[in-house]
Amino acid sequence: MQITIENLCKFFGKVKAVDNLNLDIADKEFVAFLGPSGCGKTTTLLMIAGIYKPTSGYIRFGDRVVNHLLPKERNIGMVFQSYALYPHMTVFDNIAYPLTLKKVNRKEKKQRVQRVADMMGIGELLDRKPGELSGGQQQRVAVARALVKEPAILLFDEPLSNLDAKLRLRMRGEIKRLQEDLSVTSIYVTHDQVEAMTMANRIAVMNHGILQTYGTPNQLYEYPDTLFVAGFIGSPPMNFLKIDLEQEGDGLYLVRRELKIRLPEEIAAQVKPSVVPSQVIMGIRPEDVHIVPANEGDFDAEIYVVEPLGREDLVSFRLGEEEFRALTPAPFKGGVGTIMGLNLTKEKIRLFDPDTGNSVLKSNK
Amino acid sequence: MSIRRMWRAGLAYIVLLIPTLFLLLGYAWLVIASFSSRTEGLKPVGWTLNNWRFLWESPFGSGYSNIWPVTMNTLVMSLVMTAIVVAVASLAAYPLSRMKFAGRKGFLSLTLVLHAFPSVTLLIPIYFVLLWIQRIPVIGHEIPLIGGFGYNTLGGVALVMVAFQLPFGIWVMKGFFDNISWDMERSAMIDGASRLKIWWQILMPNIKPGIAALSIFSFLTAWNAYIIPVTFTIGRTGQSSVLSLYLQNFISESVMTEWNAVAAVGLFQLIPVLLFFLFTQESLLSIYGGGKKGGV
Repeated sequence: MQITIENLCKFFGKVKAVDNLNLDIADKEFVAFLGPSGCGKTTTLLMIAGIYKPTSGYIRFGDRVVNHLLPKERNIGMVFQSYALYPHMTVFDNIAYPLTLKKVNRKEKKQRVQRVADMMGIGELLDRKPGELSGGQQQRVAVARALVKEPAILLFDEPLSNLDAKLRLRMRGEIKRLQEDLSVTSIYVTHDQVEAMTMANRIAVMNHGILQTYGTPNQLYEYPDTLFVAGFIGSPPMNFLKIDLEQEGDGLYLVRRELKIRLPEEIAAQVKPSVVPSQVIMGIRPEDVHIVPANEGDFDAEIYVVEPLGREDLVSFRLGEEEFRALTPAPFKGGVGTIMGLNLTKEKIRLFDPDTGNSVLKSNK
Repeated sequence: MSIRRMWRAGLAYIVLLIPTLFLLLGYAWLVIASFSSRTEGLKPVGWTLNNWRFLWESPFGSGYSNIWPVTMNTLVMSLVMTAIVVAVASLAAYPLSRMKFAGRKGFLSLTLVLHAFPSVTLLIPIYFVLLWIQRIPVIGHEIPLIGGFGYNTLGGVALVMVAFQLPFGIWVMKGFFDNISWDMERSAMIDGASRLKIWWQILMPNIKPGIAALSIFSFLTAWNAYIIPVTFTIGRTGQSSVLSLYLQNFISESVMTEWNAVAAVGLFQLIPVLLFFLFTQESLLSIYGGGKKGGV
């Protein structure tokens, strides 16, 4: 089922929760809504589910406007963060509830419940009450209940945030596989950028009710449209440095007290001419910063702290007021306070307007 | 356990014990007095079963009713009142807890005001209302068991007490509905349930402790009620007499009050209350015990 969202707005009193959202989700696509809490992602999901009524704008399933449809008329399945199981019913009755309401006959109901329960690996637990299950099992029951009516759209509202890290990793893979196997159009709300990156075909990043960007995980990672997206996606986050962008001869240079970097041709060609010269924010990911002996890199900096991550070490430097991080193969030898040189992979430099936060590179998605 | 901790626990017990002791003394007197012909303080003078005579004969002669129909009356009135309070309060509390509509806040504050309203001041207008209801055929005075909903009927008395109990009931139930997660209700909506089905199939089973608590409070209020039954029935000898009025038979101006018999009847009235508590204290406690694991 294709979903189209047009100029969607939602007000709670005077508070604008969702601001003029435009989005389209292709049939069978897995889309993640990503953003910090209070960014409007869950509100959007609940409008798609039919729980909230949009203040203005349209939601279409296929060609049909569904604004006025009740949740039960939308043929959707939803998994909640709190699982939202019915504690007084057995697992069987929980999963069967949508079918019971549809008055599906007993034999068919039993078959269908057993089938999804087996698929979710909870076929043995049907007689139990939700209170007797672990968090992971409860989550599986919730997914089974969403699947049993064979919905056209699956909605997930932070379904993994109540699970421990190990289980979360496993369920992440299972849900992704399930979505691919069933080919159901799915929307997945999360504040965890790793979940969004690993699971979704496309990610819609939201902040303060406004859609920041919408693209594939790779596009968002490589060519973030805004400072917010650049900082939100990727862990450890991208380094940002206030720097002057200047023209010298036929080259563009990034200039700051301690450093001067010539932008490579391919990046320089993308810079919008109107911003030269001005102060910009340079962004570069920690994996594109390489530690070399002092005086051999683009600039020197003093080590502030070293954080071993196992496979790699995260080394933080201080540059005036700002922090600058580099990922380097473990084990890293170099104590706190040592001066080291830093070499940047200059093709990976991204530039942002400090006032608007927008990228000053012409999009090359 | 360290000595300090033991000392602390002991202190708590001592603090609790002192007021409890005074209460227990009262009950002890009640029990002792009901089995003796006279008491000097807590000391019985002559054991006797005479005070419990009311169980098998009418102590005031044939013109007065026996205690058993009176007990039945009290039970019927209390159950009718409880049933109506629980049904109406839970139906009213659901929209007040879950839906947005004009006048919601006003309604809530109004019920709070009603709760605080001294019921005695309303007795006279209610008397006229009940007289008016009595003139309605069938509903007024011809329903079997409860008599009807008019003046001098069990149903009428129950109805008045329902009105006084409802504000409290609505607030209690609203509190319980407020505690159920929205997600559970949203989930049921997506599963295809109507509002009424959500109320009945999803929410009501999950607020059983609330229903139990409200039932118990309502039942006890009705069981012990005095002023409303005495005002809206034709008194202690009538067909619609209840236990609290029956007790009044023992206290009269012309004869010496038999306090020991009063104690026995009082104890008799207390028995169902004790039983009720015994069987429901678990659900009463679960109100305070917090949710079960995974109880959402």
